[in-house]
Amino acid sequence: MNGEPVTLRINGAERPVGAVAPWTTLLTILREELGLTGAKRGCNQGVCGACTVMVEGEPVRSCLSLAMNCTDREIATVEGLAPAGSLAPVQQALAEGNAVQCGFCTPGILIAAHALLRRNEPLSVDDVRVGLSGNLCRCSGYKKIVEAIVRASEARP
Amino acid sequence: MEFVRPDSIDAAVAALQAENAACLAGGATLVAMMNADLVAPDRLVSLRDVAGLHDAVRKSDGTVTIGAMRRHRETAEETDLRDGQLVLSDAAGKIANPPVRNMGTIGGSCAFADPAADYPPALVAADARLLLIGANGRRTVPADEFFLDWYETALEPGELIEAAILPPAPSGSVGSYTKLARVAGDFAIASVALVLGMEGDTCSHLAVAVGACGPAPVRRRDVEAELLGGGLGDSEIRRLADALADGLDPVDDVRASADYRRRVAPRLVRQAIGEAKQRLSGAA
Repeated sequence: MNGEPVTLRINGAERPVGAVAPWTTLLTILREELGLTGAKRGCNQGVCGACTVMVEGEPVRSCLSLAMNCTDREIATVEGLAPAGSLAPVQQALAEGNAVQCGFCTPGILIAAHALLRRNEPLSVDDVRVGLSGNLCRCSGYKKIVEAIVRASEARP
Repeated sequence: MEFVRPDSIDAAVAALQAENAACLAGGATLVAMMNADLVAPDRLVSLRDVAGLHDAVRKSDGTVTIGAMRRHRETAEETDLRDGQLVLSDAAGKIANPPVRNMGTIGGSCAFADPAADYPPALVAADARLLLIGANGRRTVPADEFFLDWYETALEPGELIEAAILPPAPSGSVGSYTKLARVAGDFAIASVALVLGMEGDTCSHLAVAVGACGPAPVRRRDVEAELLGGGLGDSEIRRLADALADGLDPVDDVRASADYRRRVAPRLVRQAIGEAKQRLSGAA
């Protein structure tokens, strides 16, 4: 296997990674090299949204991002939303709204919701549904998820 | 597999001359296919750092050049597109979902040429051209000569798309992209890209391309030309819709049957033209 060592900037920290083959995705590096298993491998085709992370402040699919193409970029994962042991407001909102069933889609939903909440204005149900349109929940628990994110947007100071 | 990331268009073209080399644009299609073991290029030429491919530029005459690496989200919000050119931003905003629109590019989408993709009919209706560059230099190809067959384009080996070039649309014209899909974000069952201009009750500009109903977008320039300069009433609209339906070559797939597509496409054409007419009369 060919490849070269790369360093990725993840959640504000420089993370050196060993030899990376060109076809290795950011998702694989996160989960299998760095132990950041929040992002999930669902479809590995960019459809389900379970692998969603932020690159340069925008939600993208880590399963469609090659690790070697992510150097010199700010990467943020669900683990970076709040310091260890605490919850970001959007995480708190999903927990309080009982908006988690099996939890597999939750990290991707949190990243998509986090991106929406940065707009810093109250979100309508439609805003949230459009913003989450790339995140599938196979428990089909959308109603509570959408409600929790709307509430989180209204609760901001 | 080798990975290279040139920082100039000339270096990218040079790197692409290797056997079994492929351009990596946003990754939305190529990496998905790599993940599924459908393709394994020997060399990936990442266009991430190639200067000039990421911008959209509007010239004083209204021509807009959209770099191949421009992402769907950027094109959906593009303020340089005006009047009928908005058919392209309307289409861009209906591709997939927000995270994928943050990744996918117009160059990548056109190079892959999925017949159900949203850009091909929009570019055909906008009378756009694709600017290609290869070892022998640059050439431009009209969009309706670029999309040739199922996943087949006019790109030669060793060529890449540098930009899409949209001519100015007539002042006051409207552009729209009407997409029928099973759920928001899915590929189209059928789609209609439209640029329409009216002067009073007279049709002054008309371009309609149907997508997802055959190997490439379908346009009937012959019928469009006959309708120019006349009124665009129900019978004229029906004539164009039926002519377009005659030109379709749809297949059965997981999204819909060929028969359904033949039935629904002309209705979608009539709906799109009707809505555009309403917008024009509302604006007048």
